[in-house]
Amino acid sequence: MKRLFKYLKNYRRETVLAPLFKLCEAVAELFVPLVIAAMIDNGIRLSDEGFVLRSAALLAVLGLIGFGLAVTAQYFAAKAAVGFAKELRFALFEKIQKFSYSRLDGIGISTLITRMTSDIDQIQAAVNLTLRLLLRSPFIVFGAAIMAFTVDPDTAVVFVIVIPLLAAAVFGIMLVCLPMQKKIRASLDKVLSKTRENLLGIRVIRAFCKEKSEVSEFDAENENLARIQKFTGRISSLLNPLCFLLVNLFVILLIYKGALRVEHGMMTQGAVVAMYNYMSQILVELIKLANLIINVTKGIACGNRVQAVLDSAEGEPKAAKAAPESGGLIEFRGVSFRYDGAAGDALCDITFKLGKGETLGVIGGTGSGKTTLVNLLAGFYRATGGKILIRGENVDSVDGKELRKIIGLAPQKAVLFSGTLRDNLCWRDPGATDDDLLKALETARALDTVGSKDGGLDCTVEPGGLNFSGGQRQRLAVARALVGSPEILILDDSASALDFATEAAMRKALKEGAGDRATVIVSQRTSSIAHADRILVLNEGRQVGLGTHDELLENCEVYREIYESQFKKEAAV
Amino acid sequence: MKKTVGSENTLNRIFSLLKRNIALATLSLLLAAAGVALSLYIPVAVGSCVDAIAGENEVDFENLFRLFVNIAVCAGGGALIQWAQGMINNRVVYHTVRDLRAKAIRKLQKTPLSYLDPRPAGDTVSRMVSDAETFADGLLLGFSQLFTGAATIIGTLIFMFGLNVKITLIVAFLTPATLFAARFIAKRTYKTFRLQSLLRGEATAFIDESVSNQKTVKAFGREEANTARFADINRRLSAAALKATFFSSLTNPTTRFLNALIYAAAALAGSLMIIGGEGALTVGGLSAFLSFAAQYAKPFNEISGVITELQNSIACGERVFELIYDSPCETDPEGCSELRGAKGDINIEDLDFSYDKAKTLIKRLRLDVKKGEKIAIVGPTGCGKTTLINLLMRFYDADGGRIYFDGQDAAGLTRGSVRRNFGMVLQDTWIKEDTVRANIAFGRPDASEEEIVAAAKAAHADGFISRLPQGYNTVISDSGGLSQGEKQLICIARVMLCLPPMLILDEATSSIDTRTELKIQDAFAGMMRGRTSFIVAHRLSTVRDADKILMMKNGEVVEQGRHAELLAKNGEYAALYNSQFES
Repeated sequence: MKRLFKYLKNYRRETVLAPLFKLCEAVAELFVPLVIAAMIDNGIRLSDEGFVLRSAALLAVLGLIGFGLAVTAQYFAAKAAVGFAKELRFALFEKIQKFSYSRLDGIGISTLITRMTSDIDQIQAAVNLTLRLLLRSPFIVFGAAIMAFTVDPDTAVVFVIVIPLLAAAVFGIMLVCLPMQKKIRASLDKVLSKTRENLLGIRVIRAFCKEKSEVSEFDAENENLARIQKFTGRISSLLNPLCFLLVNLFVILLIYKGALRVEHGMMTQGAVVAMYNYMSQILVELIKLANLIINVTKGIACGNRVQAVLDSAEGEPKAAKAAPESGGLIEFRGVSFRYDGAAGDALCDITFKLGKGETLGVIGGTGSGKTTLVNLLAGFYRATGGKILIRGENVDSVDGKELRKIIGLAPQKAVLFSGTLRDNLCWRDPGATDDDLLKALETARALDTVGSKDGGLDCTVEPGGLNFSGGQRQRLAVARALVGSPEILILDDSASALDFATEAAMRKALKEGAGDRATVIVSQRTSSIAHADRILVLNEGRQVGLGTHDELLENCEVYREIYESQFKKEAAV
Repeated sequence: MKKTVGSENTLNRIFSLLKRNIALATLSLLLAAAGVALSLYIPVAVGSCVDAIAGENEVDFENLFRLFVNIAVCAGGGALIQWAQGMINNRVVYHTVRDLRAKAIRKLQKTPLSYLDPRPAGDTVSRMVSDAETFADGLLLGFSQLFTGAATIIGTLIFMFGLNVKITLIVAFLTPATLFAARFIAKRTYKTFRLQSLLRGEATAFIDESVSNQKTVKAFGREEANTARFADINRRLSAAALKATFFSSLTNPTTRFLNALIYAAAALAGSLMIIGGEGALTVGGLSAFLSFAAQYAKPFNEISGVITELQNSIACGERVFELIYDSPCETDPEGCSELRGAKGDINIEDLDFSYDKAKTLIKRLRLDVKKGEKIAIVGPTGCGKTTLINLLMRFYDADGGRIYFDGQDAAGLTRGSVRRNFGMVLQDTWIKEDTVRANIAFGRPDASEEEIVAAAKAAHADGFISRLPQGYNTVISDSGGLSQGEKQLICIARVMLCLPPMLILDEATSSIDTRTELKIQDAFAGMMRGRTSFIVAHRLSTVRDADKILMMKNGEVVEQGRHAELLAKNGEYAALYNSQFES
């Protein structure tokens, strides 16, 4: 949690001023028992009505000063807490943007979402309360004790005993609750993940009529959360009665000691009242504190979770820049790759070259490593063996942003974001003109999709792009990859939901407009890649063939099987 | 999204939620009253103590010790009661929120997809997680402080009247000012809270969308643009949060200030009375009275503080209630019968449907399917194939026309029973975060190990599953671990295990390589024998031997017939079919 405080640095002024004003307010409050003692000893005893009036006026003035100080303090506290949460949320979001693919594989999405939302809300509340109260409480407690010493040092010794006891109770309970709050947050994560799962899988759940069992699984997580919450609540609700009991027992001691001193004429009756008032102030303060403790421990637990994300490694470090080597636009030299924690290589010893204006087809069975190859080429993962060169430079040393400029990618899962279609298409090039966009849409055979929507390029895209069909989304994703004229275009199975006629038309348009652009097409269909200059055949992560369609038909058995499975039989009809 | 539903409505909903725990809540109230009575007696006893130590050699120790015992007993009893009350409050609140979430998830299962599809999942998640949590926090605070506060006010007034009527009247007369101030501020704060929780929902929706597609974001180098968009939402959220936090925190200093004035007035009046020798007021009595006046004020502070918290929590609670009560509910009408062991005859009569009322998608669709027939649906993208499936599965309700299963009108059948008779594999795969075994046995949790492995083998998924680190016990999830094709194989195995009388395969093999697909086709063929099946596919090889091919275009069936018939017709289908041989 501690390292999070650097996000308060823009609010340093507020962070210092809020408790400071709170302390001044507390000082004003601490004067009240003194004024009352004077009222009793000087005003009532001596029947001085004027003194009594002046004292009462002083009480009112103290109240007014307190008000002004408190409002200022609240403002600063709110500003610091909200600002802190804002910076923290932003830092966390930025951090997530920096995570590499392999980091994202290892982090749960649900837990990232709770950390960014509910956890930070709790931290904000805790910081706000801390600035307002947590510093004030010890101040009032110690202040009351010091004031008690000024009234009568002998009796004030009671305060010296009671304060450590109360502190032990407060910190003891906090220490016990902290790990429990951690459990609560983890349990909340699970509730969130169950909720998301239910929303995302709603069609499948309904198709299998599994609503009931999903509900009962949710109930189990929900029940578990309630159980830990109750258990933690049981412990934190000990604090209030404990303080109440302690303070009142010490009130007895205080009055007894005071009574002895009064009996011997060493203390006045008013002084005893003042001492009692100080003790009561401590109690009032502790009750406030007790109510806070839950919030503060929760805040700390949440802070630790946020910090864990901020502290985690972002991914692979950049390699040192080396002098460009000769070679084509893309070159793979004996590239291998293994996912974190996987037992075997997902790709093994892949070697090929691709020049400007050329097309590479990649084909292979389910799980043969096609998408992994694309992810390596785009620099999302680092090869665990061999070398990948892009324009002769090792891909590991090329800045990610630079790489994204060169590469236009249409991923296997065509994801559109909510917003307008234009927003989505301008991802690669925010400055693209209408002409650029329309040209890309035409090449991707998606013009009719845009034409059918109200608002054309500015039509609304619903969350997840659900107002477009699967095939429409795929074509839009291809258009998106084309905007900004990339040097390398990668189509990762981006035509799987298209009918053959549309796909053929798209393929033709892509070829015509290619120019110097190199294209990598990943597909299951031989028809999609048959025209490529070179075809890479993958089988269970290994390169089993590289060559043209005709060469491969001749000498690559896997390729021939794939081809025959789709074509020969069909053509035979 | 509906705006304020009216807080009265919301309060009723909260009360009905609390109903289950009414006995405990009442007990908590009684305990609060008892606890307050005990804690209020302590200042009275201390006041008597003060009177017993009037001055030098005037201390009445005997009386003092008697009072000490009373104080100790009250302190002990009070502590016990407070603790018990705390436990009860905890229980009531956490159970209430648990019930709230449970209600929400149950409602979610009945909410039509037409309502859920256009709404960001993140917003719904935010309602069920963050909003419910804030609601719980506020409720707990309300319970633990509102009751005690109210009891303290009443109790203090009674004790104060016992001590001195006149000063009490002064205090009681000034009190409404405090309440008025609290109310004034509270009214203005509510809107800011509502705005805050609205923006929080927006932020969560964006975070959910962006974080769950983080890989796509990275693939396009969209990190900066996304961060900028987030910065904007974040800025708006914190502006609203600052307003809500600051305005709500005004209540406490304001009421405290008014209380300081009341305190001063009571001190003044009391002192003057003692000086004037009026009544029987003593210094000890005044001391007790003043500590009452301070305590009397305290609950107002707390209550006013609590009220702002409560408002925040009610604003959040309202968003959960919207989800539970104000979203449409898809219930089967009275008297619906169950579709049991369907034979598989399906008749569709003049079906009309549109997502957007302005544009009809499916127009007067007619279709007769005999038991065991294999129907292939083909057509250009966006022609309504998936929509037809949404209607068959009754994910959406048609705008007009009827669907009959075995001659029974689907409108008179329960949705669940219709769906149970269908086995469905979709292009968009969904994997539950669970073991491979549980994912395959999703539709039949009681399936034996042999059956599960057999289904996986039939779907040709056994090979890669056994290569996973823990085989069938490997925990998989939607976001990582498996390739798109592997996920699809698991979804196929899921249906292979259930084998309901009718099948829907919507691009079920789109991500699977053709060699594997060919092998699966055999298994599919076996599965489809005797079962009515609907197949959506682009690979026309899958379609060729269908009993009936529906060629769809713009929501209409433009051609219908067998492969050979349609080819001979040389129409839309023939054009589509031949296109795959061009390159």
